[in-house]
Amino acid sequence: MNVIEIRNLTKSYGKARGIIDVSFDVAEGEIFGFIGPNGAGKSTTIRTLLNLIHATSGSATVFGKDCRTHAPEIAREVGYLPSEVSYYDRMKVLDLLKYSASFYGKDCTKRIHELAAYMDLDLKRRIDDLSFGNKKKVGILQGLIHEPKLIILDEPTSGLDPLMQQRFFELLRQENAKGATILLSSHVLDEVQRLCGRVAIIKEGRIIRIESMSDLARDHYKKVGVEVGPEADAAFAALEGVTNLERKDGVVSFYYKGDINAVVAHLAGLRIRNLWVEEPTLEEIFLHYYQKEG
Amino acid sequence: MNVFLRELRANWKALFWWSFGMVLMIYAGMAKYTAYVDSGQDITAMMNQIPSTLRAALGFGDLDVMKASGFYGMLYLYVLLMVTIHAALLGATIVAKEERDRTSEFLMTRPASRARILTGKLLAAAVNVVVLNLVCLGLSVAVVAQYAHGEDLTSDILLLMGAMLLVQFVFLFLGSAIAAVWKRPKAAASAATTVMLTTYVLSIVVDVNKNLDFLRYLTPFKWFQAAPIMRDQAYQPVYVALAAVVAVACIVATYVGYGKRDLYI
Repeated sequence: MNVIEIRNLTKSYGKARGIIDVSFDVAEGEIFGFIGPNGAGKSTTIRTLLNLIHATSGSATVFGKDCRTHAPEIAREVGYLPSEVSYYDRMKVLDLLKYSASFYGKDCTKRIHELAAYMDLDLKRRIDDLSFGNKKKVGILQGLIHEPKLIILDEPTSGLDPLMQQRFFELLRQENAKGATILLSSHVLDEVQRLCGRVAIIKEGRIIRIESMSDLARDHYKKVGVEVGPEADAAFAALEGVTNLERKDGVVSFYYKGDINAVVAHLAGLRIRNLWVEEPTLEEIFLHYYQKEG
Repeated sequence: MNVFLRELRANWKALFWWSFGMVLMIYAGMAKYTAYVDSGQDITAMMNQIPSTLRAALGFGDLDVMKASGFYGMLYLYVLLMVTIHAALLGATIVAKEERDRTSEFLMTRPASRARILTGKLLAAAVNVVVLNLVCLGLSVAVVAQYAHGEDLTSDILLLMGAMLLVQFVFLFLGSAIAAVWKRPKAAASAATTVMLTTYVLSIVVDVNKNLDFLRYLTPFKWFQAAPIMRDQAYQPVYVALAAVVAVACIVATYVGYGKRDLYI
């Protein structure tokens, strides 16, 4: 079952580009990555899903309900962490979280305290006394205290220190294990790679690729490094599918796209001292798409 | 209910200071009346020399300011001006502040429709407006009684404060409608007060220039003027109806406008 279904969603801001013809689905229980640089349309898509802004055309459903007409119902089961957190400055953290909880009609007190302890957040402080990172923690808590079935995160880790990032990701994995679906928008590709099963790549308002992380990597260049004498270089250069060939410190490295058996057969005839075959990082794939189609 | 309570809490301090300001204004205003009367001079004669245009602009067109009732009628205009500024500002900011302070992304992703959130906000604003009105009412009755020299002004004051409440509501909802429809939350409050002060200036223009009398329907300040209300001991039904229509139209505009538009984030 799909938790989110987006169909040909378009949002234009007058002359400025918003998003164009965006379509993708997020299945129940998956962690879906939504990647693209700043201004590509990630937040626009998410805000449309949340009924903060209204699409020019196209439609989106969450839990099978139209995101515009059933927004309050949908919101009951959604936790949202915006990219820029901002809350009522003069409120105390605990009061804000209680205010948030009051909308869901369930007692979240225990969970507020559990999560605050886990994320190391002082509930007695006033919002305007908090650092950016601590405000982000407040954002994480308000997004999770009502145990939502769908968690939407827009650039979640900016401002969090590495330890907190790790704890936060652990928290997300736990929620996911309990059945929550997660939509994670980011331009920090490393975090998407660590968490997500599938990703959609958005560029200048259009989705250019939707694929599972493993397919994305498989279908892509591999990085090969071979520690071998210089006599083999010419042979590598002749191999079809090899690009970016270079020799450095006794190691030949190149990108290879194609049947890996061809490389293995080729290597069999050589006397090599060491060998690396690496999956490209998401960042490399991403840059590849952006450069190729840019 | 939670939004309503939250807004009451968020606004009570401001309401306190506004009430305090009104207390000072009414108290100091009526204290000045004693100064007039005690000076022993025939101020009426002096007043009569003031051109009618200026008299109108100062708010005591046909009032006998040597009488406590007349003086209070003049003071009423200034009280009205203050509380309508309060109402217009409150109406605009209570809607616009979520966008201005960037909290709309938080509030509007809770499981509550925009209409429900608006209802909580407008009810809280209405409570603020009523409280400020009651403060003025209670204080007026108490203070004026000290200077009335046997005149019983309670029914006048009740009538004037009732009228004031209607005008307050008109401007409260005008403010909320501007903030709800207009996409510039930071400018909503100043736009609302600009509209409000424009209608005030228009009311003076109408006073001064009788040829423009038909414009009186455009300015709530002309709908409930102290002199005719105190004279007739009644409102003119046409203006009560007009106030109701404008207030309801603004409420509808608030809900429709806010429900439809993209939130500024």
